[in-house]
Amino acid sequence: MESVAESLPEGAQNISIGGFNRFAGPFYRLPDDGDIRRFAFVALDKHMNSAGSVHGGVLMTFADIAMSRTSRLSTGANACSTVSFSCEFMAPGHLADLIEIRVRVSRRTKGFVFLSADIACEARALMQASGLWRIG
Amino acid sequence: MSTPTGYDQVRLVDPFEIHVGPAFVRGERGRRRYALEARADHCNMRGVVHGGMLMTLADMMLGQAVWDATDNAACVTMNMQVQFLKPAKAGDLIEVEPDITRRTRSLVFMRGDFTVAGEVIMAVQSVWKLFAAE
Repeated sequence: MESVAESLPEGAQNISIGGFNRFAGPFYRLPDDGDIRRFAFVALDKHMNSAGSVHGGVLMTFADIAMSRTSRLSTGANACSTVSFSCEFMAPGHLADLIEIRVRVSRRTKGFVFLSADIACEARALMQASGLWRIG
Repeated sequence: MSTPTGYDQVRLVDPFEIHVGPAFVRGERGRRRYALEARADHCNMRGVVHGGMLMTLADMMLGQAVWDATDNAACVTMNMQVQFLKPAKAGDLIEVEPDITRRTRSLVFMRGDFTVAGEVIMAVQSVWKLFAAE
């Protein structure tokens, strides 16, 4: 979709190659900002709810994908699984919004990764999330 | 996909819910049970239902229960806290009977244990905001 490609920042890399990630996506990885991992997607018609906002399930899916990917990147593990996830919805996303997530590793142990993340559309905060991932 | 025995199809209205649906419902008002049959589209590359799909399901089904309890009041999800206890896979029927823990004029406190064959796979707590009808 041309309009989506045009609104994505330079260096965006499609990470939705299969499974539910692809069915719900496409989602993109953006270049890191220091220790912060960045991902983005553009809100499409299929992502909406009937009130004209991005569905909460889409934002949670986006966060889970970005945070799981960050767990793997920060540990080098092939697989990490979500143990718990918590989020607050602060404002709605709208059709065609470029929505970005910034993920931070709060702590890493031998078996677990603790993450927090902020989702925004430009300066508008949409969601905050945190969670626990098990390595392997 | 066939409707599970005893269930009726939920009339989904959100484009993203239609995308991941269908979903099913049975039982009386105030004690409704919701279900979805997981399929390959819902799974990750390791063959288990994606956490994002499960949380989408949580948002869908707790939202249906809020609507059911409030005569379809306009509402939004304020937060969601999720524990992933066990994996689910394609072909599993995922079911939940959401509970309203407390309801005020503007908030509904919800919880739900999502099960496959009677075993809890995901436990969810969520707060919903209601908008006044006037």
